[in-house]
Amino acid sequence: MSFSWKSVMSGVRAPSMALILLAAAVVLTGGVEAALLAHDYDGPLFVVELFPVAGIIFAAAGLVAWERRPSNQLGAIMVVGGFAWLVAALVNTEVTVLEVAGTVLQTVALGVVIHLLLAFPSGKLQSRMTFATVVLAYFVCLVLQIPHYLFIPASSPGGLLAVADRPDLAAAAKWVQQGIGIAVVVSAAVILIGRLRRSSTQHRRVLGPLYVYGTGAVVFISFAPNVLRSLLGISAAATAALQITALIGVPVAFTVGLLAGGFARTSDLQQLGVWLGSTVTSRPPLLQALSRALGDESVQLAYWTAEQDGYVDGQGRPLEVPREGSGRNSALIEVGGRRVGAVFYDSVLIGNPELVRSAGRVVGIAVEQEWMTGELLASREALRLSSARIVAAGDRERRRIARDLHDGLQMQLVLLALEAQRLAGDPAASPSITVAATTLRLRIDAAAGELRKLVYDIMPAPLVERGLEAATRDLVDRMPLPTKLDLDVAGSIPESASSAAYFVIAEALANAVKHSGATGLVVRVGRSDDDIVVEVADNGIGGAAPGEGLGLRSLADRVGVLGGSLRIHSVAGGGTRVVAELPCGS
Amino acid sequence: MRVVIGEDEALLREGLAYVLNHGGFDVVASAGNGADLLRLARQHEPELVITDIRMPPGHTDEGLRAALQIRQLLPHTAIVVLSQHLQRQYAVELVAEQSAGVGYLLKQRIADIATFCGDLLRVCAGEIVLDPEVVLLMLTRARTEGHGVQRLTARQQEVLDLMAQGLNNAAIARRLLISEKAVVSHASHIYDELGLQTDDDSHRRVLAVLSHLNR
Repeated sequence: MSFSWKSVMSGVRAPSMALILLAAAVVLTGGVEAALLAHDYDGPLFVVELFPVAGIIFAAAGLVAWERRPSNQLGAIMVVGGFAWLVAALVNTEVTVLEVAGTVLQTVALGVVIHLLLAFPSGKLQSRMTFATVVLAYFVCLVLQIPHYLFIPASSPGGLLAVADRPDLAAAAKWVQQGIGIAVVVSAAVILIGRLRRSSTQHRRVLGPLYVYGTGAVVFISFAPNVLRSLLGISAAATAALQITALIGVPVAFTVGLLAGGFARTSDLQQLGVWLGSTVTSRPPLLQALSRALGDESVQLAYWTAEQDGYVDGQGRPLEVPREGSGRNSALIEVGGRRVGAVFYDSVLIGNPELVRSAGRVVGIAVEQEWMTGELLASREALRLSSARIVAAGDRERRRIARDLHDGLQMQLVLLALEAQRLAGDPAASPSITVAATTLRLRIDAAAGELRKLVYDIMPAPLVERGLEAATRDLVDRMPLPTKLDLDVAGSIPESASSAAYFVIAEALANAVKHSGATGLVVRVGRSDDDIVVEVADNGIGGAAPGEGLGLRSLADRVGVLGGSLRIHSVAGGGTRVVAELPCGS
Repeated sequence: MRVVIGEDEALLREGLAYVLNHGGFDVVASAGNGADLLRLARQHEPELVITDIRMPPGHTDEGLRAALQIRQLLPHTAIVVLSQHLQRQYAVELVAEQSAGVGYLLKQRIADIATFCGDLLRVCAGEIVLDPEVVLLMLTRARTEGHGVQRLTARQQEVLDLMAQGLNNAAIARRLLISEKAVVSHASHIYDELGLQTDDDSHRRVLAVLSHLNR
């Protein structure tokens, strides 16, 4: 695939300075022309002055469209039409050379209207039939107009262009011109009707009125002299005024249709480049930038996935490649010769596939990066979920072990102690057996005491029986330092969050007692929106590093897995404050 | 003395029944969950209900809640709750207001048959019996929080401990191997130090001590 910056830039470059100069040229030409006509013409002045006005409006509408849609040729076509119209108006001056130029380009404006109709909205002639129709339209306006001034000396300024006085040939040529002219209009109508039928409802609302008006204007202008003047007897001046007015509306209608007809403003590829250079956080989504650059709101960004052997959208849903003739087309995006995705776009709206391919090249690396970011985020989320499952499984296991010990070993120790005591209390037992059995019972009781501590550390009974609030109270009851408790936890808390909150408090309290040298502690458990907020503060030496100690780090992991956060504020001499926030939403 | 038992483990239920029969109690029914315990207690109106705190279906504090409900419905029924883990909070809930005939003990205490049966009889007589471990928890907490307890002498703290467990002067004197007069003297010092009103009634004294410790 060849790539040249010239081909990219030629379609998009619209230096506003050039357009301003062009506008100045149009106004100057029109102004001079108006002055010339005012000086030379002795008929009804308002009619002839309408010609330069029409030329200026034509060019102005074209310049607006050109500036706003730099990659679309419609604006340029209208500007050319404006100049043609200004030249045609010269026929009414008294300067022979100018009159000749005006005579030659007399009817070119009609060809421009046909051209506009068939090139809207993409600015391109997209089929051979369309191309042929437009060429034929210009042929009718320029070539078939020739016999008119060649064979009628009166129609030739100063007789300069006339070769013979043959009104019969001129009349015959006129019939041919009108016949082919009708054929052109019919062909254009067929093409436009076909387009309307294939277009979406949204496009149809814009295209329908424009097509009807444009075609109507061509027909009206072509046959106005015959119908209005010959049949209805309207004056030549009034007829001309009506023709010009009908024609002036055409570029205005097309420009309005192009800019406001549901097609977003086209920024050029340079703006897309600027977007790429902006920082990632402030960058609007890639698709949005692309849609604005191409002026196609329906544009789709398709990411290539090798594993699915197909395209998917930003959410990972499969995307079908547009079929031919569906009004949509696709342009491949490659990075280093490797397919990374494609742009699916409206081929009715965008006639130049090279423009889309160029845009695809500009965003190629960003597409790849965005895709990889998506993959990374997805795998990170999958990792978090898997860690959450591991933590939840760990909690379930703790609860199961604690319950098994409660129902099994703890109960067995009660029964064993009871058995020993029965032995000790047996009247038939010797005194030495009684003493031994009693000692055995006391040792079993001691073992039961150790087992109680172990079960409490694995999964404390208050947490199992009554939840976070009771478990926190129980912890604080057992603190060897004065501990202030501030509890405010209304509403239900998921088991995972309450376990995590409890173990954060337990670990932070244990650390404070062991390392801080504090004389007082504060424990706060509260809610903030959907979060449960846990805080343990001491008035000790401070200076604890967040990464210090395996206990708090594993707690930070446990909290992180739930989508929460754990912060440690610890300034040397300023005490230590551990704050954990745990989301409680589903 | 008729007893209804709440305990979901069959083996432990048998062990408990053995101890109770041995101590001269008459086990009239036993329940495996909180709802059955409430129903059987209302049906038999026993003098004593003994229950495990953790019971089906939720394995949380169903037994304790059933016991507190029985207390409301049948105020003259003595209640003893057993648990593998003691919490100050449960003790406070059981001894709330002017309660009488309440016991809160570690399950492991069953094995010391004589002491256990003695505790049950005291509860049936309307006394309050708290496990030494939960009283230790209360005293330690009171000392840490500075409720005046730390100003008592070691001996006075021992006496306070036994008072909180629900023992009367005679029992305290026996336990500490001192004269009952010495106990009375220690007790009056404790009252002065903690700012409690002198009360010869041992039950009201227990309530006053407990409410001081748990304030």
